[in-house]
Amino acid sequence: MSALRFERVWFRYGENPVLRDLSFDIRAGEAVALLGRNGAGKTTVTKLVVALLHPERGYVRVGDRTTEGRAPEQMAHQVAYVFQHPDQQLFARTVWAEVAYAPKQLHRDAPGVERAVGEALERVGLDAMHDEHPYDLPAAQRKLVTLAAAIAQRPRVLVLDEPTQGLDRAGARRVADIVRRIKEERVAVLAVTHDVTFMAEALERALVLAEGRIAFDGPAADLVGDEGRASDLGLDVPPAAQLSAALGLPQRPLRAAEVAAALAQDLDADRT
Amino acid sequence: MTVALDGVRYRYPAADSDALRDVTLAFGAGDVTLVTGRLGAGCSTLLLVAAGLAPHVTGGARSGSVTTLGADPASDEGRRQVAGRIGFLLPTPWTQLSGMSYTVREEVAFGPANLGWPRDRIGRAVSGAMALVGIEHLADRDPRTLSGGELQRVMLAGITAMDPEVLLLDEPTLELDPEGARMVYRLLPALAREKTVVLATTDVDRAVEVATRVVLLDRGSVTADGAPDDVLGTDRAVALGCSTTVAEIARVAGHAAPFPLTVRAAVRRFAR
Repeated sequence: MSALRFERVWFRYGENPVLRDLSFDIRAGEAVALLGRNGAGKTTVTKLVVALLHPERGYVRVGDRTTEGRAPEQMAHQVAYVFQHPDQQLFARTVWAEVAYAPKQLHRDAPGVERAVGEALERVGLDAMHDEHPYDLPAAQRKLVTLAAAIAQRPRVLVLDEPTQGLDRAGARRVADIVRRIKEERVAVLAVTHDVTFMAEALERALVLAEGRIAFDGPAADLVGDEGRASDLGLDVPPAAQLSAALGLPQRPLRAAEVAAALAQDLDADRT
Repeated sequence: MTVALDGVRYRYPAADSDALRDVTLAFGAGDVTLVTGRLGAGCSTLLLVAAGLAPHVTGGARSGSVTTLGADPASDEGRRQVAGRIGFLLPTPWTQLSGMSYTVREEVAFGPANLGWPRDRIGRAVSGAMALVGIEHLADRDPRTLSGGELQRVMLAGITAMDPEVLLLDEPTLELDPEGARMVYRLLPALAREKTVVLATTDVDRAVEVATRVVLLDRGSVTADGAPDDVLGTDRAVALGCSTTVAEIARVAGHAAPFPLTVRAAVRRFAR
């Protein structure tokens, strides 16, 4: 059974239809990028998943129940949502309290909360920051706090809105590592992103929205490795994949580490 | 030079270390200057100090001298001097909205109107700026209903409408889709012919395509300043995680500095 399903979903803000007959499925353990131009309806999709919005027609199903008649707090045992801007999300006085909020609300017992928070903070590399005030941390670490809070919820579906936006290269790489690991634990990940490098590194499938419908649904590698198709959909090809294609590297690797390895082999061949 | 910093130190209120340390730099028209570094290196702070917003708005303490358009922009006299002559783009466009306008056209007109320009000059400036950044189709929309990417372009139009002599752009493409980001970067060389353009971003892969000068900051200090190849093609820049993806791949692959920064440069160097 799918972990998340959109079935013929329509949605509009006032007169403007944003989603028109949108359908897709995401399985447990699948990590999916949601792409599209500014204003294509990506953030609307994420709000429908967490029941901040409800479809005008069609349904959204998380696990075995639709979101109909449910409020966001009733979704929290299944879905975790990381906002685009951490400052719209953070509210507690310490990092620990921020990350512990959801597990407490979900009625875990004290040792259970302790464990969930400890693991989540370790996972994002903030285990030394328990007592810090989230707003005393730099922006990149505030983002990691929100990610830890989502992990501590132990969701079946994790929704991320631009998880690497505003991060430097090291920060983006860390988020990619975290997402890969979450996916291995059979969580379904839906990540709204413009960052095609992040997609190439951490997500295996791409959904592209255009005009409120799916314009592409397939392996992320088919977009990353195909400049013509990517550009038709308004997307960039990550620099690593561009380099791979431009140099005609064997097997056309797409991820930075693989491109570097192929280039290193070339270099060795030259030396011998 | 339109902006000159000499031995500048700056510390945010309640911070326990300096955000800028002994920074001596000058900026003038003709260059698109990219200021980059790890998150927290001081790139945004440098722009705030150049505009006088730090310490005037942010509080905190500055030492050393800052001269922008002939005066210290944080002084009373300096603020009168620079009003309308510096365009400052925040990375969070919704915090920059005037809150006084019901349409995008009114929002773009807000700056010029406050400079007391005659009506027909405001009209011309607003139409020109909206065409320049490609937001004519949004003219009658309520700014509060726009997506982040749309709003970021509206703010850029509002700034260019004032025809400022200095453009200080902090992560100007953070909210933009790839096409929007390319469009903004394409505008910069033309703007830089007569204006001082300083761009702070960690999006080095794209910015390096238009930058003619790069300033690399590390923990508040300038560690390198010069032509893009000289600053970003080094072991140090790549090790800091501040160079381009292509340079990083070349270094990991075992090539020696200077590293190529772009796919084009890499092809020139590695293609056989």
